[in-house]
Amino acid sequence: MAEVEETLKRIQSQKGVQGIIVVNSEGIPIKTTLDNSSTVQYAGLIHQLVLKARSTIRDIDPQNDLLFLRVRSKKNEIMIAPDKDYFLIVIQNPSA
Amino acid sequence: MFADESLESVGVESVWRSCQQGALQARSCQTDALHSDDAGVQTRFSASIFTQTEPQEQTTDLLRQHDPAEPDPPGLLDFLRRTEDLIIRELVKNTRSHAFDGFQADWADRSQRVSCLHRLQHPSAQEKDLHVSSVSWSCTGSVIVCAYGRTDDGDWTNEKSCVCLWNLDRQNLNPKQADLVLEVPTAVTSVCCHPNQPALIAGGLYNGEVLVWDTSRTQDPVLVQTGMPAEGHREPVYQVSWVPLQRKAEFGVLSSSSGGRVLLWTVDLDRTRLVLDSGYAFIRQQVPHSGRTSMKVRGSSTVGVTAVALSPWDPDTFLVGSEGGLLLRCSFSSRTPAAVPAEDRGVVLRAPAVFSFRPSSGPVHSIHCSPFHRNLFASAGTDGLVHIHSLLQADPVLSVRVSDSYLFQAQWSPSRPLVFAAATGHGPVQFFDLACRALRPAATIEDGAADRAATCLAFNHQNRRLVAVGKSDGSVGVWQLSSDLVDPGPTETAQLEQIANQVSD
Repeated sequence: MAEVEETLKRIQSQKGVQGIIVVNSEGIPIKTTLDNSSTVQYAGLIHQLVLKARSTIRDIDPQNDLLFLRVRSKKNEIMIAPDKDYFLIVIQNPSA
Repeated sequence: MFADESLESVGVESVWRSCQQGALQARSCQTDALHSDDAGVQTRFSASIFTQTEPQEQTTDLLRQHDPAEPDPPGLLDFLRRTEDLIIRELVKNTRSHAFDGFQADWADRSQRVSCLHRLQHPSAQEKDLHVSSVSWSCTGSVIVCAYGRTDDGDWTNEKSCVCLWNLDRQNLNPKQADLVLEVPTAVTSVCCHPNQPALIAGGLYNGEVLVWDTSRTQDPVLVQTGMPAEGHREPVYQVSWVPLQRKAEFGVLSSSSGGRVLLWTVDLDRTRLVLDSGYAFIRQQVPHSGRTSMKVRGSSTVGVTAVALSPWDPDTFLVGSEGGLLLRCSFSSRTPAAVPAEDRGVVLRAPAVFSFRPSSGPVHSIHCSPFHRNLFASAGTDGLVHIHSLLQADPVLSVRVSDSYLFQAQWSPSRPLVFAAATGHGPVQFFDLACRALRPAATIEDGAADRAATCLAFNHQNRRLVAVGKSDGSVGVWQLSSDLVDPGPTETAQLEQIANQVSD
């Protein structure tokens, strides 16, 4: 338990990180550093995005699989590390 | 000699009576018979249905609360161990990457940078050839208040004037007819809407009066006014603004006039008057000189105040621009009494000037503090330049040549730290973006007839894309800016900081 918090703290201390969310395979957020409403919003929307991205990659080449997803916007960047059971979502503002 | 005589009486027939009895005719009329009918209706069957909303599910149900006693879901720790290094590597690379510097994807149509939404006119003001002297948006961002007066007259006028309000969010907006017209006995030189209550508007008049209107009252919209007290203004009030009062959580009205006075009034609803709370007077001898000025000015020693700006960062500081080109930083809490002849006043006038910036050669028409940097402010005057000053030094940090004619107003954009707009005497309103190296305007609002000066402009703080421009032909244009003039970039605050830290030689 403590180690999970330690890991999240290490990631949070990187430069420009605005928030971290850990989502399970059903799209329900498990750990978060943002407020409730933002977390629920991010989790729902990003879960669908990751599933769509993964199916896109696998449709193009069934031997391939999604490794990492980065969405860059005007204000910040969202990085998603997907896995079988969980997704890790980190929101960073690189110029802050 | 005299003898009695009796004459017969003379009679005159009445002509009136005979002509009244002239021709008589009788006429009659009757309405047609009324048809009426009876019918009965009865419902054969009825059905009823009820609906009710259910209490909204808590969104926190979706988020499992972290319970220290509850163990983490299985596999979470392994997952985090696997992905932690990958993520941290990417985060660090991202902060160092220059891949996206200067890259812009444009979702909006770039062709039109400014587009005109409405052109509002008040026909009776235009007939009297009045200029728009001031515009202000209400705190909700949907009502625009336009004040009519003259900007080029040096004389006293007795013309009645008005203040018009348009609600732009109404569906049946009529640009030729205002939603509400407030009649005013003299020309209005300045208006300002209350920052919290959308119905209150403060206005300053050409004869020195300060009024507050309450547009929610139907009977008499004038809520309080100063009248013409001995301690009030005697010269046109060129600027009014709402100032938060330190003692109570209310707002007072700060008014400044070309008679050299800046007065702070509080609203006293019991006596329906504006009561003078504190006053400041500017006398030339009490103004600090910045050392480089070697002006020997003879004549009156009052410093006519044409522009006042409040600093949103420091409630004690305010900036003042004068008719002679002086630019001063002043303090509300100064204790020095002003060297005015001691009349019988209730309130002692104080001299607030603390620091003097480099003066310009003509009257300062407008000052505005930057909402994004605590030390920067912009000033515009008759020399066609917008000077960007820092509060810490006397010389301007940057001077931008906007046009060859007078500048009537300069305002910082409320959303982009590096953008400011200036209203010129030729007519166009120029928007400058300090991020571009070439100091040419990023956008221009040109409206119709040339040589009709743009006398005032106001950004809408609620809907950041709207800007209102008042012109000397009595029309007010509401313009919409494209998103690249409104949306701030990621590094703009840092660039503004860099500009502020430049020290001029």
